[in-house]
Amino acid sequence: MIPLTHFLVVSAILFSLSLVGVMLNRKNIILVLMCIELMLLAVNTNFIAFAHYLGDLSGQIFVFFILTVAAAEAAIGLAIVVLLFRNRGSIDVDQMNQLKG
Amino acid sequence: MGIIDFIFYVSAALVLGSATVVVTSRNPVRSALALVLTFLASASIWMLAYAEFLALILILVYVGAVMTLFLFVIMMLDIDVVTTRQRFVRYAPLVIAMGVILTGLLLLALKPDYFVFAHLQSAVDYGLSYSNTAELGKILYTEYVLAFEVAAVLLLVAIIAAVSLAHRKPRDCKTQQPVAQMMVDPKQRIRLVKPERK
Amino acid sequence: MVMNFIFPDFSAIIPEMIILAFACAALLADLFSPRQQKHLAYLLTQVGLAVAAIVTFVQWGKPTVVTFNYQFISDDISRLLKLFIYLTVFGAFYYSRQYLAQRNIPRGEYYVLGLFSTLGMMLLVSSHSFITLFLGLELLSLPLYAMVALQRDSAIASEAAMKYFVMGAIASGMLLYGMSLLYGASGSLDLALVAKSIIQSSNSQSWMYAFALVFIVAGIAFKFAAAPFHMWAPDVYSGSPSCVTLFLSSAPKVAAFGMALRLLVFALPDLFSQWQQLLMVLALFSIVLGNIFAIAQTNLKRMLAYSSIAHIGYMLLGLIAGTQFGYSASLFYILIYALMALAAFGMIVLLSKAGFEAENIEDFKGLNVRNPWLAFLVMLVMFSMAGIPPTIGFISKFLVLKAVIDVGIVWLAVIAVVFAMIGAFYYLRIVKTMYFDAPADASTLMIGRDMQLVISLNGIALLVLGLFPAGLLQACLTALG
Repeated sequence: MIPLTHFLVVSAILFSLSLVGVMLNRKNIILVLMCIELMLLAVNTNFIAFAHYLGDLSGQIFVFFILTVAAAEAAIGLAIVVLLFRNRGSIDVDQMNQLKG
Repeated sequence: MGIIDFIFYVSAALVLGSATVVVTSRNPVRSALALVLTFLASASIWMLAYAEFLALILILVYVGAVMTLFLFVIMMLDIDVVTTRQRFVRYAPLVIAMGVILTGLLLLALKPDYFVFAHLQSAVDYGLSYSNTAELGKILYTEYVLAFEVAAVLLLVAIIAAVSLAHRKPRDCKTQQPVAQMMVDPKQRIRLVKPERK
Repeated sequence: MVMNFIFPDFSAIIPEMIILAFACAALLADLFSPRQQKHLAYLLTQVGLAVAAIVTFVQWGKPTVVTFNYQFISDDISRLLKLFIYLTVFGAFYYSRQYLAQRNIPRGEYYVLGLFSTLGMMLLVSSHSFITLFLGLELLSLPLYAMVALQRDSAIASEAAMKYFVMGAIASGMLLYGMSLLYGASGSLDLALVAKSIIQSSNSQSWMYAFALVFIVAGIAFKFAAAPFHMWAPDVYSGSPSCVTLFLSSAPKVAAFGMALRLLVFALPDLFSQWQQLLMVLALFSIVLGNIFAIAQTNLKRMLAYSSIAHIGYMLLGLIAGTQFGYSASLFYILIYALMALAAFGMIVLLSKAGFEAENIEDFKGLNVRNPWLAFLVMLVMFSMAGIPPTIGFISKFLVLKAVIDVGIVWLAVIAVVFAMIGAFYYLRIVKTMYFDAPADASTLMIGRDMQLVISLNGIALLVLGLFPAGLLQACLTALG
């Protein structure tokens, strides 16, 4: 049987990879959205591994809802990307100089 | 090493390898396809943790719908591949160092003896007649019915938001207006004038 | 097969059902009503808020109900937070009506999305498990992302929406990762059961709990825009249309406080010493950075964004104290902040006309000459934000400071007071601009009579509450008692 830790290690590496990806690809918004999907995938893997080892289905139910929310979130995120592209002609974050943080 | 372990470690390697491609690839289409592979490999890991229903949902919804949407948007927006990643390298070492530190900390924090609660390390063995989908369904529509309804509202909100943001109003496109065409008065189109005789 | 299913107690969730029904009705009304009668959606949303407020008010003081398989809780805290959520949302919609009509922003969508977001806030403050908490949070956030981008031809608004979206999504990811670790350690998603299992946990687990806590607190800080997770707030506040800034600066803060209370105080009370330290860092950064950066701003919306960061820092002081009184003081602070933000951004919205946005500080030059009553109201709001007596802002600041001094963290209180004085400078600068600078355009400025009535009530409330704060304070104390 696969030890719980191995599941957790996979998702921990996946989670940090996704955070690194967000920081590396700050210029390309589509890639940032993909990294957010990766982040949620890591979280879901965690929940499923715990649900398995706890013998408790509520973790799987949570994953079901995270998947639903993530799909809705992706739809809204992509709608905003399309809107941004229509308004600016590019989605290059470097050209977004109208707002300085 | 049994076949289960073999599948797990191959899938785990695939997940991490393709996720790295997602993060580092220069081409967004390639990133999207690598993300599809990440989802597929994750689904097999989930399957090994007895989450059959969710593994299939991941493939159907994510590979089938969400990633297709991503690819549509990428193709529609016609992103310039070359310019997207020019300043990528400048602060890359710093970011990668942060990532390594974060991973190290996470691995430190995830020692198995921290999760001693309940029957940890002794995962339940299910019989042959066990159906993950049926069990999920039973509690989803009873104990978690409130959450289920809220999720439905969330999807409605996503529809409203996406339509109100991305939908072009009909006035932006050129269409025929039959009513206006039929109701037209000849006097609006042709004006008969009597030229003055000189 | 026999199933142990307890039929849920629907009476506890009636306010949520009312809001959902009115949101759907407003959606349909907006879709099918003719172009000239677009105010139907507005009327329906406001009536819905009023009806829900009456029902919630009737529930006030009744015993706590936990229902829907321990997913949903209706207690006095959630009822008080909900009443203020209705109030601020009602005000925000009221002020925005004319602003929306004069601009190219789809009106129906603004009200409908706003009402769905309100539903998310209500679920968030009433959540009793990680699942409903997460769903409520997302139902609160998703409509907000769309509302920021609702002015579809504005490049700045869509840019702000993108920033808000990315930051919000990362915050959710962090929060979820922390929740997953807590689930693994406690074996439950129920907030009360998580709290119970932490009491029974061994010492060796404290490392892991601390780790999960970092992710949870970071997620909360992102949602609150507490420094150092505040980067998005000034951009989003100044980039979105003023009516949306008005909406997202008031009610969501109240809901975010509900979330922090449920997660930290209800689910993780035994990790208090750990999260106290994390919140201290957040409070310190927020108070210092918020007040210092606010001084340099010329755009009023950006200035108020930094001021909101500082206010969140002050609010956190009560949580840091960790006493029953401290939590009540924080609750009081956030409710008062929502009222002040509503008045301040409401003023920006009301003073804007078609094609003109009153969002720079110099737009307020000589307001006293142009409309003395409005100038007086702005002065009240600024005094209250700065914490000058006799306005209510003084009392709310005093209470959180008293809470931290009571538990002996005097140094933090001293820093907070010093920066409150620095903060007073930029609020008073606006008062000076209104009263002593010559206006660029000396014509009288008029706003609609009904708008004038509501903004007056809003502004005067800050003064009256400052003179008679006992009622609200008592409500805050009993809610947490």
